[in-house]
Amino acid sequence: MVKQTKNTSKILTELLKLQIGNITERIEREGQTVFGGSNLLESDEIADLCIQFLQLLVALLESRDPDDDASPQFHALEMFFNNLSKQILVRGGRIEDLVRYIQFMQHTLIDALGEDEKIKVDDARTILLYLSSLFNELILAVFQAYLSEKERTIWAQEAELRETSTPITEIWDGVLTLPIIGTLDSSRTMIVMDALLNRIASDHASAVVMDLTGVKNIDSQVSHHLIQMVRAIQLMGADAILTGIRPDIARALTSLNIDLDNVTTRATLSDGLKEAFRRMGIQVSHKAA
Amino acid sequence: MAIPGLHLTQIGRDNFLLEPSRSLDISIGDELVVAILQRLQQAKAGTLYYDLAELPLIEPRYYRWLNMLARACRAVNVAMVCIRMQPTAAFALSRYMEGVPDFAMGQEVTQ
Repeated sequence: MVKQTKNTSKILTELLKLQIGNITERIEREGQTVFGGSNLLESDEIADLCIQFLQLLVALLESRDPDDDASPQFHALEMFFNNLSKQILVRGGRIEDLVRYIQFMQHTLIDALGEDEKIKVDDARTILLYLSSLFNELILAVFQAYLSEKERTIWAQEAELRETSTPITEIWDGVLTLPIIGTLDSSRTMIVMDALLNRIASDHASAVVMDLTGVKNIDSQVSHHLIQMVRAIQLMGADAILTGIRPDIARALTSLNIDLDNVTTRATLSDGLKEAFRRMGIQVSHKAA
Repeated sequence: MAIPGLHLTQIGRDNFLLEPSRSLDISIGDELVVAILQRLQQAKAGTLYYDLAELPLIEPRYYRWLNMLARACRAVNVAMVCIRMQPTAAFALSRYMEGVPDFAMGQEVTQ
């Protein structure tokens, strides 16, 4: 940050203390406009955060080295904005509004500086540069918090998607079904296989029926992944049954020279289940009239 | 007679369970195959269960050794079944293997 002198820190601290009422009132009013109207923050919360901000700023200015961005005082201020950013985002607020609010805080301090006629030009220049540098750092902290929160949300959404994209169901003791919908790329195959193989091990499944009714297109890579999945299932000592292969996919498989000799296929999921039951010696029949 | 790196146990009338240990040295795979087959033939074994529970990964060399042992077993009329393969091993093996292995696969000893 821009080097502060002992004198300029003192001037800024005194200014804050002298005009605390005016500064607080202005920042608070702006807070009510930005966050109060959209019900993002309660009036009490806005008042509290305004007081907390000014206290933390004074603590930084009164610290041994106000320019040290590794000091606990600076870290406290950074964390304050970091938490505020998360709070606003969680409540559905916009990052732009928060940044504008922080800029408003900076402008309010600069305005207060302009109202004090005793401050020398050189001191005012140093203070201005310091405030600009400080607020830049704080805005950066807000953006960092915003990005990490966004990343966390995206990661959580991906995890949920992964969970829902592999709906492995134990439809009978030892019989697992896995409907595959959409495209099977390398990363999805890895996720599906990982989940499936672990389920086979944990459930001691002896048959897996993989239904491809929801697979629209197939290319050589996807078919290779399918064969790989079938092999892995067989290596675990379970039977793999492919069902629901659409006519156009069957045609594509023949043109890709995919060897399905060791793969059991059935037309529909129902046929696949019947085959799995037959292999396990289970008979399902209509109730006698 | 003990076979180095392998623990071979008779489990039932004509079934054998083979449990590899950490000290298994497949660079002497030919000698191990001969030693295993001798034991199996002496006991008139019908099925050899190869327990893979302790192997989190099966690399190509180990896979070739398993296939070789399975083919040799078939030559003396013994069926080889690999059991309790771990998901990680199945996942990795399925990525590089081509065609069907020479051994059967199962989850547990069935007979």
